[in-house]
Amino acid sequence: MATKRAPKSPHKPPPPAHGLSPEEIDQRVKKTIERTLARNIPGLNVPELDLDLEIGQTPKELVYTRDTLRLYHYRPVLDEIYRVPLLVVMSPVARGYILDLAAGQSLVEYLLLQGYDVYMADWAPPRREHAHLGLNAFINEMLDGAVEHIRVESGEAEISLVGYCMGGMLSCLYAALHPHRGVKNLVCFTTPINADGMVLYKQWAESKSFDIDRLVEELGIIPGDLINASIQALRPLQRSANQLQLLNNVDNDAFVKANLRFDRWAAEQLPLPGELARDFVRDFLRANRFLDGAFPVGDKVVDLGKIRVPFLHVAAEYDHIVPTAASKDLIGLVGSADKQEIVIKGGHVSLVAGGNAVYRLWPQLDRWLGARSI
Amino acid sequence: MSDDEQLNPVRLWREWFVKSEKAWSQSMTDMMGDERFSKGMGRYMQEALHTHRMFSESMAQYLANLNLPSRQDVLDVSDRLGRVEDALSSVQVELRELRMRLAQGGAATGGRPGVVKPARTKRPPEPT
Repeated sequence: MATKRAPKSPHKPPPPAHGLSPEEIDQRVKKTIERTLARNIPGLNVPELDLDLEIGQTPKELVYTRDTLRLYHYRPVLDEIYRVPLLVVMSPVARGYILDLAAGQSLVEYLLLQGYDVYMADWAPPRREHAHLGLNAFINEMLDGAVEHIRVESGEAEISLVGYCMGGMLSCLYAALHPHRGVKNLVCFTTPINADGMVLYKQWAESKSFDIDRLVEELGIIPGDLINASIQALRPLQRSANQLQLLNNVDNDAFVKANLRFDRWAAEQLPLPGELARDFVRDFLRANRFLDGAFPVGDKVVDLGKIRVPFLHVAAEYDHIVPTAASKDLIGLVGSADKQEIVIKGGHVSLVAGGNAVYRLWPQLDRWLGARSI
Repeated sequence: MSDDEQLNPVRLWREWFVKSEKAWSQSMTDMMGDERFSKGMGRYMQEALHTHRMFSESMAQYLANLNLPSRQDVLDVSDRLGRVEDALSSVQVELRELRMRLAQGGAATGGRPGVVKPARTKRPPEPT
C-alpha cells in the first residue's frame, strides 16, 4: 500500500548530504580565510585598504594658511634640536606626502630623528578664485608669509630652505629676491633652471599653435589630469611597465605596498593656477630667463647670482622629468661661495623617496645641513 | 620563485617589456617632440577648448530646462566647500595659537600644554 508523502515546502531547502547547514559552511569558510591570512601568506593581503593610514603619518600641525599654501609644523621628536628651523617647499603640482610616504621611507621622519625642526610648505588644490595667483603671489605673499611665521614662532631669525622640483625654483627665487629675510642655507632637489634641457616641453611651449593665454583664459585652473598627462608624455610606457612589474612581484607584499603608494602619489597631481602656468610657460619655457639673470617676478627681475648663502643642489642621474641638462646650470648661476652639487643614481621621485635616497642621499644631506644649522 | 615560474612565457614577456620600456618610451617621446606633432597638438587643444565652450553653453541650457544642475553649478558647490575648508583651517590655526598663548602662561612649551619645547642647542656629531 502506497503511503501518502507530505508535499515539499517550496521555501525549505533539502537537508545537506554532509550534515552542515549553510550558516555552518559560511562560518567554516570565513575561519579558513582568516587562518590563511593570519599565516601571512605573501600576496594575500589587500594593501590598498590600509594605504590611507600609512601615508603622511608623521605627526604634524597646520600652523599657517594663505590662499593655497598650507604650512605644517612636524612635532620634534628629540629634546635637543638644531638652532635653525628648516622649511621644505613642495612643488605646486605635487602632494607633499611623497616626502613622508611611510615609516622608514620618509625624509621628514629622518630629518626629525636627526634633530631638525621641520616645517613643510604644502599646497592645497587651487579653486577658480585662485586662478590669478602667479609667481609673484607664490613667492612674495605665500612663501614670504610662511617664512615670517616660522621666524616668529621659532624665535629664530634664520631659516634653511629645502625646495623640491618647482619648489626648488620658488626657493631660489625667494632667496635671491629677499636676501635679508634670514635664509641661511638653500638646498634644491632636481630644480629646473634651463628650459633647453626640457626638450619636449620647450618644443610644445614654443609651438606657435600652443596658446597659453587662451588656455588660461578658458580654464582658469589648469587641471591636474592635464599636468599628469604632460608628465606621462615624457615616458609614455612607464606606467604600463610599472603595472607589469607589479604583476611580476605580486607575491612580495612590501613591493606591492611601495608600488601602490608611488602610483597613487603619481596619479594625484595638483591642478595649477592659470597665472602660475602662464608665468612658467612664458618666462621659463619660452624665454629661459634664469640664464640671462633677469627672471621677472612682480615688478622686479631676479638674478640667481645674488644668492650668497650656502647652497646645495641634488640632481638625479636618470631623472626624465627634470633631466640633468635642465638643472646642471643652477650651481654655476648661484653666486654663493659655499656651494656643492651631488648627482645621485636614480629618478625624479626615487631621489627623495627610494632606496638610494634612504641610504645615500639623506645621510649626505644631514652632514651638509647639520654643520650649517647651528 | 619556482623554475616553472621563471620559464613562464607571459612572465618572460613582462620582464622583457619592463626592460625595454625606456627605449620604446624614448622613441615615442621623440615622435611627440617633432614639430608637426607639436603643431597638431596645439591645434587639437584649441579645437578642444572651442568645443568645450560650445558644448558647455548648450548643455547648461539643456540641463537648466530639465531642472538639473550643470557642471558650473557643481563647481560652484565645490568652491563653496573649499571656502568652508579654508575657514576650518583658519579656525584650526587660531585654536593652536590660542593654546600656545595659554601655555606661555606656564612653562615654555611647544604649543602643547605640558610638552617642553626642545632646546635649540644641538650640534652635529664630530666627524669620525
